[in-house]
Amino acid sequence: MRTLLLRAVLLFFIGVFAISCTSDGDGESAVTDDTDDSADDATDDGSDDATDDSSDDSSDDDSTDDSGDTTADDSAEPTDDGGDDGDDEGDDDVTEVQSGDSKLAAVQSAGVVRCGTRDALPAFAVLTEDGDHVGFDADFCRVIAAAVLGDAEAVEFVDLETADRFTALQSDEVDVLVRNTTWTAGRDGGEGATFLQPNFYDGQGMMVASDSEFGAIEDLDDGAIICVAQGTTTEGNAASEAARLGLDWEIRGFEDVPLLQEAFVAGQCDGWSSDSSQLAGIRSDFPDGPDALTIFEGVFSKEPLAPAVADGDTEWAQVVNWAVSAPIIAEELGIDSSNVDSFADTDDVNIQRFLGLEIEGDEETAVLDPGLGLPTDFGAQVVSQVGNYAEIFDEHLGSIGLERGVNALWNEGGIMYAPPYR
Amino acid sequence: MVSAPVSATRVPIWRNVRVLQWIFQLLVLLFAVLVLAWLWGNYQTNSERLNIPTDLGYLDNPAAFEITGNSMSQNAPVRTALYEGFLNTLRISVAGIIAATLLGTIVGIARLSQNWLVSKIATVYVEAVRNVPLAIFVVAGLSAIVFGVLPNIQEAWDLGFLVASNRGIAVPWFEGGTGGGLLLLGLAAAAVAWGVARWRRSVSERTGEPPRSGLFAGGAFVVAMIVGWFALGYSATLPNVDGRRTAGGIRVDPSFFALFFALVVYTASHIAEIVRGSIQSVPKGQGEAASALALSGFQRMINVILPQAFRVAIPPLGNQYLNLIKNSSLGAAIGYYDLTLVTQTTVGNGSPAIPAFALTMVIYIGISLFTSVFVNIANRRLALVER
Repeated sequence: MRTLLLRAVLLFFIGVFAISCTSDGDGESAVTDDTDDSADDATDDGSDDATDDSSDDSSDDDSTDDSGDTTADDSAEPTDDGGDDGDDEGDDDVTEVQSGDSKLAAVQSAGVVRCGTRDALPAFAVLTEDGDHVGFDADFCRVIAAAVLGDAEAVEFVDLETADRFTALQSDEVDVLVRNTTWTAGRDGGEGATFLQPNFYDGQGMMVASDSEFGAIEDLDDGAIICVAQGTTTEGNAASEAARLGLDWEIRGFEDVPLLQEAFVAGQCDGWSSDSSQLAGIRSDFPDGPDALTIFEGVFSKEPLAPAVADGDTEWAQVVNWAVSAPIIAEELGIDSSNVDSFADTDDVNIQRFLGLEIEGDEETAVLDPGLGLPTDFGAQVVSQVGNYAEIFDEHLGSIGLERGVNALWNEGGIMYAPPYR
Repeated sequence: MVSAPVSATRVPIWRNVRVLQWIFQLLVLLFAVLVLAWLWGNYQTNSERLNIPTDLGYLDNPAAFEITGNSMSQNAPVRTALYEGFLNTLRISVAGIIAATLLGTIVGIARLSQNWLVSKIATVYVEAVRNVPLAIFVVAGLSAIVFGVLPNIQEAWDLGFLVASNRGIAVPWFEGGTGGGLLLLGLAAAAVAWGVARWRRSVSERTGEPPRSGLFAGGAFVVAMIVGWFALGYSATLPNVDGRRTAGGIRVDPSFFALFFALVVYTASHIAEIVRGSIQSVPKGQGEAASALALSGFQRMINVILPQAFRVAIPPLGNQYLNLIKNSSLGAAIGYYDLTLVTQTTVGNGSPAIPAFALTMVIYIGISLFTSVFVNIANRRLALVER
């Protein structure tokens, strides 16, 4: 009896082995594949793992399926994988489905853009009591969804802590990170992120209590305690600024904004340093009222805040880039959410291209399709469902008193400059 | 009676239970190895795709953050930051273990006291604290105690030898002593103490009175240290408020204080239970015999009951020490730069996550194993030798 049981268990394990080893594995043993195949297979793996869970793919259910089993089977079927997964993704209704090994296809078939953001930064991304994410960054998530999927509400907001944001991007938990993240070389390289068109050019500032004896940043003399958020560029910048001014600050890091605010209210901090836009947002929401805090003029670092995607998928990066540029282009062309429908009969070729209207040529009419993978009317969708850059800015940031400043359009004194859509 | 003949045929391999068990175990091992290889291959491939390094080269990158209460520059490499974090973990662990053991032992004995009030207070303390998650104590230590109770620096409590505010608690500290000088002084004082202990033991053998060599030696050590300290011209400084800082003395970081408070209170409640249980495990006859020999209550505890109880208490005590060491990582929630928080910050600043956390895990395992070695040595030496 016992040997029978033993044999049965043995056979079960051998069976599991056999199945896992001979499955239609998407081999990512990059060792034997040539570089093209390995890149395809690798990106395939990412999107596959991410979306297979949501879409009902019974053939790929085995969890050891998409494995790096270094067996010869895998290297023998590089081309099979593309077609295989194309079928698996299966959603042929969307007209822009690319070949099945791209993040764009994965997002389109999932029908939702997973956007990494945060839940407690006033003006940028706040989770309200109704469960909505409201804010500048949250609206840019909606911009991307409106462009790629045609529906601004097709966003899955994933709230991330500062320490986890890049890990989530790397492990494909989110498709795009719109979380007021500064574009730096270290993040481009070591964090495996690709940064896109900045949606806000910011700088680091200093905020103090209005009733303290500090009138300027130089008054924060030796022994002042400056509170910052951990794990951001802020810490290093504050230390550099202290060294530059020859002051001896004590930099104290906190995990998140609420704890920092408590420390500040209790008097543990003399100054609070962060991106100026963040400081403005926090000030607007301060329990004692915005006048209890003073933000010093002047910034002491460059902080271009830009959305980010993971390295390795140029197509998806370009799609997001043009999606994020769309509100800026719309503002340049004078289109906003209230008048977007009135341009149906316009003669301006630039507007026709942007809104995906038919352009009269010499012999025929055509709609501009640059081959990015976006729907031809993505510009119109973005503007009508979310708004142009000015509208998004004014609603969230203008309302807390931030001026356009350096974020104005390039032909109005600022540096917001999007490439031409043609 | 003729016994049945022993079967001379051998069991075939495919039915031989021992062979099958071996094969089964080997297959499971193979399976585990393959799973690990698959995970590793997955990790390597995906990291290559994203250009994330998978080695330990990030240790040489500049840290880009400063550690509170430390003079490390932000341009120091990550390995220096990790080292400072490691030292911070050691500091809170050593301080916490010592304080928690003392407090826990006292509370544990108090719980067994004949005095109704004392024992009830101890019971309430143990039962209330044991059942609350430590993370709550840690955050409460910061929010309720440091921010709530301790005042602003402008209204700091100045007790002369102590200055308490929510920026830290400043205590007196020596000044002028170098590491080497202090060490020599300590060795000299220890030699004096040892001499005094020997003298007391010889007095006791001669006259029969209790030697109390520990007390005398300890006192001699302290006296020798103080005398030598001032003789060598070192001095101590008292803290006082100076603007927004405290001048003189040394300032205990408020996050350290909050974490220390939480860890000690929590771990002491567990240690109290262990001590109580171990004391109750000593046969009642021992205590009665000690009383019959006219030993005072204190002598009974120290000489008869606690030594026997200690033997039983060592394994669970070692467990609590390991718990305390690992729980110190909760300091990350309140800004105490222990090893965990330093790792989290470097990962947030661009170090690759998996090598960084793997290295941190290895360091924690090292610390824990090191502590276990000491606990096991104590265990072995005190164990009852069965004949």
